[in-house]
Amino acid sequence: MERFLVIGERIHCISPVIRQAIADRNSAPILQRAKEQLDAGAVYLDLNIGPAERDGEEVMAWAVRLLQENFDNVPLCLDTANKKAIESGIKVYNRSKGKPIINSADAGPRLGLLEVAAANDAMAIALCAKEGIPTGVEERIMYCTEMLEKAMTLGIDPMDLLFDPLFLVIKGMQDKAQEVLETIRQITEMGLRSNAGLSNVSNGAPKHVRPIIDATYCAMAMQCGLTAAIVNPCDPRLMETIKTCDMIKGNMLYADSYLEL
Amino acid sequence: MAMTGLDIYKLTPKTNCKECGFPTCMAFSMKVAAGGVEISKCPHMSEEAMAKLSESTTPLMKAVSFGQGETEYKLGGETVLFRHEKTFVNRNRYAVLFSDEMPQEQIDAKLANMKNVHYVRIGEEMKVEIAALQYTGNKASYLALINKVKASGLKVAYMLVCEDLSVLKEALSLVGDEKPIVFGATKDNYQEMVGLAKDSKLLLGVKAAGLEELYELVENIQKLDYKELLLDTGIASVRDAFTNAVQIRRTALKEQDRTFGYPSVVFINELAKGDKFMEIALASLFTMKYGSILVLEDMDYARALPLYGLRQNIFTDPQKPMRVEPKFYPINNPGDNSPVLITVDFALTYFIVSGEVERSKVPTWLGNPDAGGYSVLTAWAAGKLSGSVIAKFIKESDIESKTKCRKLIIPGRVAVLKADIEDGLPGWEVIIGPDEAMHLPKFLRTMEGIN
Amino acid sequence: MAFKTSVQKYSGNVCNLELGTGEKKISLGGQNVIPFYSFDGDTGSGAKIGLEILDIYPDNWVDELKNLYGSAANNAAEWARLVEEKYSPDFICLRLVGADPNGLNKSVEECAALAIEVAKAVKLPLVIAGTQNHEKDLKLFEKVAEVLEGYNVLLLAAVEENYKTIAAAGVTAYKHKVAAESSVDINLAKQLNILINQLEVKSENIVMHVGSAAVGYGFEYVASTIDRIRLAALGQNDKTLQMPIITPVSFDTWNVKEGASTIEDTPEWGDQTERGIAMEISTAVGVIAAGSDAVILRHPRSAQTIRAFLGKLI
Ligand code: SF4
Repeated sequence: MERFLVIGERIHCISPVIRQAIADRNSAPILQRAKEQLDAGAVYLDLNIGPAERDGEEVMAWAVRLLQENFDNVPLCLDTANKKAIESGIKVYNRSKGKPIINSADAGPRLGLLEVAAANDAMAIALCAKEGIPTGVEERIMYCTEMLEKAMTLGIDPMDLLFDPLFLVIKGMQDKAQEVLETIRQITEMGLRSNAGLSNVSNGAPKHVRPIIDATYCAMAMQCGLTAAIVNPCDPRLMETIKTCDMIKGNMLYADSYLEL
Repeated sequence: MAMTGLDIYKLTPKTNCKECGFPTCMAFSMKVAAGGVEISKCPHMSEEAMAKLSESTTPLMKAVSFGQGETEYKLGGETVLFRHEKTFVNRNRYAVLFSDEMPQEQIDAKLANMKNVHYVRIGEEMKVEIAALQYTGNKASYLALINKVKASGLKVAYMLVCEDLSVLKEALSLVGDEKPIVFGATKDNYQEMVGLAKDSKLLLGVKAAGLEELYELVENIQKLDYKELLLDTGIASVRDAFTNAVQIRRTALKEQDRTFGYPSVVFINELAKGDKFMEIALASLFTMKYGSILVLEDMDYARALPLYGLRQNIFTDPQKPMRVEPKFYPINNPGDNSPVLITVDFALTYFIVSGEVERSKVPTWLGNPDAGGYSVLTAWAAGKLSGSVIAKFIKESDIESKTKCRKLIIPGRVAVLKADIEDGLPGWEVIIGPDEAMHLPKFLRTMEGIN
Repeated sequence: MAFKTSVQKYSGNVCNLELGTGEKKISLGGQNVIPFYSFDGDTGSGAKIGLEILDIYPDNWVDELKNLYGSAANNAAEWARLVEEKYSPDFICLRLVGADPNGLNKSVEECAALAIEVAKAVKLPLVIAGTQNHEKDLKLFEKVAEVLEGYNVLLLAAVEENYKTIAAAGVTAYKHKVAAESSVDINLAKQLNILINQLEVKSENIVMHVGSAAVGYGFEYVASTIDRIRLAALGQNDKTLQMPIITPVSFDTWNVKEGASTIEDTPEWGDQTERGIAMEISTAVGVIAAGSDAVILRHPRSAQTIRAFLGKLI
């Protein structure tokens, strides 16, 4: 079986440092965060430039080149609602280390991003949502199948889609946690791949508890079949958990030093 | 192989008409895959789709059989490409080739060899299982050959390698009751061949030039509703034969295409072109990878010892340890003064230890109590190799009458057992052997005072 | 429907490793497919064949082989030269059995002097096999690596107990290749590679010796271990298992009953040499078909057959 796909989340415009760096086209802070994440074991890097309605095309192309030139064509997740920006990023993208991933399409207003994926032979994260928060497993699976059908008519290989059941923050929506896991299980049963946006699940919890929630939730999701996640790879507990799950699932062979790899 | 929701979805009309009670074809397919609803709830499934679905519950590779009674063997039925995933279930079988153009002395010699190579190794009977009888144009000698093999007293199954229908019919009148393999159907004769094989459900060899043609031929034969087939890997070249063997197995198990879901036959005698060592090399290759019947020029011990050993290993259950019978084995002709050495019944351990004892040339009684088929330390940890187990084993065997020597050598790794054993076996001196089997020769020779 | 070739693409590949120097140097590995699966992709360098010679006269070998080599077998350098000229294997394996503390216990200096003589006598790449005594091998390989600097030999083998010194001396100091031995334990195979990598030794300088057994003697463990290692290396792109594999086939096949029992002991089995060759060939084909990139054989007839066999599959 395939190794779990770790997508590093730390190049995100929500961070003031990154926002500023993008505005100034200042490469240093972006490169530093990229290096930290790759050293920590990220395979893909998420590149979130925000809505970037004004200069999105230019920013995306600049950032894709910057990261790929400095890190041996590191594969990237192009993260913005701006369709044009995604297209301009893909135009300069080198796919020798992996296809670009579009982050993200959904069953509602962003369904059109599947067309971008089809037209550019890109992968896509497909959020099982339309408007607002889906109410249960059935609704999520309905969106999943809607997107799948659309993608297949567009000629996208189902394996190029990472279905994201929409992870929700535990504190405040604890009752939804099982729904998300059940959705992953069903997506897996259909023979499809899945992705988790794990960043926010522990929001609001005490700082020392957060890594524990993140890691445990991730482990439980992996047992349900989760194949990828957008996470902070610099969280050692989380990364150790992912490696251990991968090992127990037989996605990699055990060796005493497996955590050091 | 169970189908995933996605596989089933591909078979639906994808119209989302909702008649099944589900909002979309995809949602319906998923429920079908999960076993929650019958596929028949969709009124719009095509015949072909239904057939595919029902097929999905039949095995990817068919298990077929040939021979009768003592000589009945099964082939095929494999579910995996690598033995660590799951046991290979039906071992390959070896055949020796005879033909009507062979001089009588040659036929006699082969029959004699087949009689000679017949032994038991770790509970398995080793012998040539099939006589492959090839027709090359002389009907009288061909029928005489069949009668001769039949009269030889050998317990073998037959493979009639003959494409001439009328000759084949006569041959079948001689050995038809013993369910021989009929080889074989070609694109020119397959209808008649199927007709001939069908009544008695004989295993039918299928032969074509290349995989494309073979595939087409199998499809045609299946249309005649016959599925007791054995696919020929061809003799154009070793490379082609190997490619074909792998592709046949892989098409069935990985691509899940049952058209190639049958066992295969490899005419190694043709590929090796009279070079005996090459024949051993090729037979080893096809034993490892996907040959079901391997036809050889001849069988002697130089061929049998490696090939049957290899086969026995490759077709063991990876979950189950291989065991040798718990008892005393005489190594290097021990007598009534020879020492006693204890190991375990795990086959790998036993073989390594017995090999080293043989190398020492010291006559020894090698005993392995029933230790659950584990290695020394594992057996000890599991309580299966304890002082009382060893003491009981010694007492219950008749070793005390076979040797007057009361020296009992135990594996160095379970030195802690010494006192326990001595308590249970008054009169015996327990000697602690080396930790590693490879040090046994020196240990034994020193103990016995040899150089 | 028409037949469509089933193709399996893998993301990983086996490292390419060079042994020896000059015109007769050889490559191991480089493939990104299972052995002989040319319909899937690149089959790499193909398996390489080595012939075994000893540092002492091969008293325990079958008479037929002793006669074949004649007096040359008294002198390893002469023996190596004869093997190179007459049988041209891909490499020669010099096995320093005389150093065994349980045997003649020759000094490391004596062995090193002999190794350099052999190296000078031939152009073929060398594999130097030790005694399997961890402490002795450690000293032995340290010395042999030093005197053979520049010959790019393979040291067979380092184990958990002595890999640090052997890898440091062999690879880092004197630029040889090291074989990591793991006795049919796949997790240990991986672990040893990681540990040696952590000594700043690149994967291109490591060969795996994952264990060996004669056919009939637990050979399935060897075959499945190699299968699993190769599937991890190719399918999971596990970088810590992408080193080429060497299997010293002859070290086992001539010791088991089928190869060791004389015609007097087992008359019904027929000629001993023939059986020994047959066991060697069958075992070699078995490990090569599973994924071994090099085999060590004893009888030139076996080497000849395996070469012809490989020729038919390329
Ligand atoms: S009845 Fe058949 S075609 Fe109609 S929605 Fe259900 S599965 Fe699709």
